[in-house]
Amino acid sequence: MRKIFFIFLCFLSCQDEISLNFPIESQKLVIEGGIEQNMPPYVILSKNQGYFDEINSNTYNDLFVYDAEVIVWTINENGIADSVFLQPLPPPFDSIPIFTDINYLSSLSNPPYANPNGYNFSQVNKTYNLIVRWNNQTITSQTTIPTATPLDCLWVEKNEFSNRDYQFDVRAIYDDPGETQNNILIKYRKPIHWDIDTVNWTLEDGSDDFMELIDAGSDVLINGTRFETYFPQKGDGNFPQFPYNAERYKTYEINGVLDSILVPNDEVIIKFCQIDEPALKFWRSIVRQFGSNGNPFQEPLNIVSNIEGGYGGWTGYGSVYYQIPIIDGFSTNTPLPIGSIEITDVF
Amino acid sequence: MKFKKILFHLLFFTCLSSYAQTKYTISGYVQESETGENLIGVSIYDKNTFKGTVTNQYGFYSLTLEEGNYEIIYSFIGLQSITKKVNLNNDIRINISLKNDAIITEEVIVTGEKLDKNVSSSKMSQVKIEVNNIKQLPVILGEVDVLKSAQLLPGITSNGEGSSGLYVRGGGPDQNLILLDEAVVYNASHLFGFFSVFNADAIKDINIIKGGMPAEYGGRLSSVLDISMKDGNNKKYQADGGIGLLSSRLTLQGPIQKEKSSFILSGRRTYIDVLSQPFLNREDPETGEPNAFAGSGYYFYDLTTKINYRISDKDRLYLSGYFGRDVFSFANSDNGFAIEIPWGNATGSLRWNHLFNDKLFMNTSVIFSDYRFEFNLAQSDFEFKIFSGINDWNTKVDFLYQPNQRHTIKFGTNYTYHIFTPGNATGRSGDVEFAPDEIFRQYSNEGALYFSDDFELSDEIKINAGIRYSSFQHRGDINILKYIQNDLTFNSDNYRNIEPRFSLRYKLNTTSSLKTSYTENYQYIHLASTSSVSLPTDLWVPSSTVIKPKFSRQYAIGYFKNLKDNMYETSLEAYYKEMTNLIEYREGFLPEDNTNQSSDNSFTFGEGDSYGIELLLKKNQGKTTGWIGYTLSKTTRYFDEVNNGISFPAKYDRRHDLSITATHKLSKSWVLSGVFVYATGNAITLPTERYVIGGDVYTQFTSRNGYRMDPYHRMDIGATYTPSKKKKKFKSTWNFSIYNVYSRKNPYFIYFALEGLEEDGENQNIQNGNVEPKAYQVSIFPILPSVTWNFNF
Repeated sequence: MRKIFFIFLCFLSCQDEISLNFPIESQKLVIEGGIEQNMPPYVILSKNQGYFDEINSNTYNDLFVYDAEVIVWTINENGIADSVFLQPLPPPFDSIPIFTDINYLSSLSNPPYANPNGYNFSQVNKTYNLIVRWNNQTITSQTTIPTATPLDCLWVEKNEFSNRDYQFDVRAIYDDPGETQNNILIKYRKPIHWDIDTVNWTLEDGSDDFMELIDAGSDVLINGTRFETYFPQKGDGNFPQFPYNAERYKTYEINGVLDSILVPNDEVIIKFCQIDEPALKFWRSIVRQFGSNGNPFQEPLNIVSNIEGGYGGWTGYGSVYYQIPIIDGFSTNTPLPIGSIEITDVF
Repeated sequence: MKFKKILFHLLFFTCLSSYAQTKYTISGYVQESETGENLIGVSIYDKNTFKGTVTNQYGFYSLTLEEGNYEIIYSFIGLQSITKKVNLNNDIRINISLKNDAIITEEVIVTGEKLDKNVSSSKMSQVKIEVNNIKQLPVILGEVDVLKSAQLLPGITSNGEGSSGLYVRGGGPDQNLILLDEAVVYNASHLFGFFSVFNADAIKDINIIKGGMPAEYGGRLSSVLDISMKDGNNKKYQADGGIGLLSSRLTLQGPIQKEKSSFILSGRRTYIDVLSQPFLNREDPETGEPNAFAGSGYYFYDLTTKINYRISDKDRLYLSGYFGRDVFSFANSDNGFAIEIPWGNATGSLRWNHLFNDKLFMNTSVIFSDYRFEFNLAQSDFEFKIFSGINDWNTKVDFLYQPNQRHTIKFGTNYTYHIFTPGNATGRSGDVEFAPDEIFRQYSNEGALYFSDDFELSDEIKINAGIRYSSFQHRGDINILKYIQNDLTFNSDNYRNIEPRFSLRYKLNTTSSLKTSYTENYQYIHLASTSSVSLPTDLWVPSSTVIKPKFSRQYAIGYFKNLKDNMYETSLEAYYKEMTNLIEYREGFLPEDNTNQSSDNSFTFGEGDSYGIELLLKKNQGKTTGWIGYTLSKTTRYFDEVNNGISFPAKYDRRHDLSITATHKLSKSWVLSGVFVYATGNAITLPTERYVIGGDVYTQFTSRNGYRMDPYHRMDIGATYTPSKKKKKFKSTWNFSIYNVYSRKNPYFIYFALEGLEEDGENQNIQNGNVEPKAYQVSIFPILPSVTWNFNF
């Protein structure tokens, strides 16, 4: 509605550049961190900057913080505090500082990007405390790893409404446990994907390097129900509020760009997670600000942080991973085993 | 004990004044002679003692005086006053017709004297707008707008350029009770708020109450806009119309049965869709290529109608209705995408006036009100619809009892059944329908009893004291029988409250008085908005266990002085208003999260206050008329979960607000007018920091509404030309307006752009290249000339 209002105003309006400058009140640390069962925790650290500060590759790189002390601790089953010190990954994996348990990764056969296989520190239903010390500041947070809720099954099927043979969807049946309130977060990556170069009309590698956030939401609408759903693309959002909607994908296809549709021989990794309430608020606000950024009629929304003394989020993921080759008729109800999950999909 | 003493004195004075001498009552209706239209607010008073009254909203008056000889003056601005010599020795009925300047007969005595209502009335913080006067003011794009005219009064602010929303003494737009012939109008805006839904041709009178709210009104914290529609000419057939740049309008009225019943039918429609059609042809006329946006457009229309029937001298019936719709459509055939967004109000009122005797008047009403909003999306076989709204069924009975000239007693009751549809969605994909089992609705009962007495304790002191008992029950689908049996009263979301209303006038001398008022108000329904402007998507929600009723307490004091035989009216008022249980959406809450369910948990609650000084200098008579209004005020909000619990200015907080309007009658043919407004800039929230998560840029906003945009000011001028065609039935006027004469670029909003940003799908990725953050201020409505042709025959 606000977009329509905006379009209407364009007919009558004029604009002038104005000069504004708000220096930041204090330098704060921004935390993007997570911990999931059987995987080492990770934290990416950066700083805030003034809204009107210059941005280029140098200033961008300067935002990241390497010189912090990062500790994750929990109370083990014996009632004793158990902690790990996280350190940045070493070169050549240090373009951004990913603090993780280097000692653990070094112990694997092909460090540091080996697939983790049984990391006992991170366990379901335990609470993990984060402490970051940097620049005379101590930043803390806390999160819990909820129990993962797998999907009943997933399958690949040709898009019902497309008249193109090559357009496929990943569909699923989800049975939401009624007795608990769980919050869902979905990430998604295409390790194999080809895009159309619309200039030369040739195929080019369109695979993703990292997981991208699809959506986050509570089960308030679907609590205790079993239903068929689908996996939306980034920006599509709204899982699990609306049922399968092939028509949305058709739009992308009509525009002649295959970036957002799945075609035969693509491959998809889906990370389906449960998260606790503070983490949900953080991720919901991320989704919302992403969708409303720049809308002058939207009431401003800050990212809701669960970090004391800083910005960002510290999330415990109860996660399951699915690897889906886009082959007509493929179906599975088996998540990836721990040893098959790539560490880059955890970060 | 003290209270009992006061009560005793009040009763003593009442009795004393009632029985000291034999008294008789003059009563009747006052109407305009040419049209038979009942006149509201006509002053009726004795020339020598200045004891008097005014007509109510049905044109009825009742004046009780001691036996004797009187010269009773009937006076109304813009019409000739009449003086009637009366030998009062029994109750008499006098119905009066007031004539305009062109008609003078030997029977009437023309007098220039006016009752000093501004000074003598116990009411304060109330303003009456004469529709005929505002029609001569310059207007934007030729559209006369009663709400925009109201914004020129002190204490009433707009939300910014072009907005017809009203913000009264620090209250939000949902805190105004907007009544059209007693029916609530929930969204009073056309065209996303740029114009109001009220067609000035069909309106007789607007009474604005911004403080000291009388007990007969309730359900809102801040103000009442009581708009009365014309009854229709009961003497002859008449057509009025106008052709403007944006819309045209036509009003037909006339007698159904001469001087017994009449009708009025008024319609208005924009032709924005017609004007934009050349740009949205199905095919490009030159290339023949299809236009992807064919079918897009916007229009609004409204219809207003009223029928009245005089059953007898004691009984009258009124049936009135309003229906208006805005329809925005957008189509893009490239991807088979189309949306249509209709929204609008419908109201209906059936009213019966009955005169029991010369002192007791009753009005009984059955009222219907409906506001609905829809968002329809279609794409090939896929359809999606969101809809919301509010629907009211209301019945009320109001009594007016005037036992003597010192007392005007009002009492009555009303009951409203609300049906809320706060946000529902349905869909269809091919043959498969997606719809909730049933549409999510909420049902509420709202009721009130009230009693008030406007009484003159002495020549100096006049008091208007009233009490309103209000109740609200909300619990899903309410069973009326259970409600009657009081089965629902123990639910925690049933609310019952007492709202005292009090105002006092102390007359210093014949030309000046001091007034004070104290009111408490409860509001049981709330408007939830995620926007910084009022949009039709905003939702009305009821009070519930979670959402407590809003409450306000307002104190006001004022000095009122008239000068030069009432040619000038002045007033200086100071007010302080505190509000509790104000609602805002929680930070991080998405309205779509409430689809098909209650939105109760979406909100956070807080408090607010507003205080200020309002100055009004008004010239009512002479060739040049107009007013200067100035407000100095401060409005603050306090929410634990907003702005880190730190107080922040409301978005419509204005430190300074100045309006100057003037109309000058240059000759019989030409009337010139001008408006100047100045207001402190809007308080808005701006981003001050940013940071990166997952390679995407996110913004940190600091203090809520912590930045002030540049001040708003502009000047408009206008001229109305009436060709002199004597004795011709067809009359016409031309209205020329220039809005924003010096083309001030008033800030409408500020937006930010990261220029040089590399687009990666929907990502705002800053890893590559130089990115320069920039701020842009958008202004709308530069200098805008317009012309409107109005006709009448």
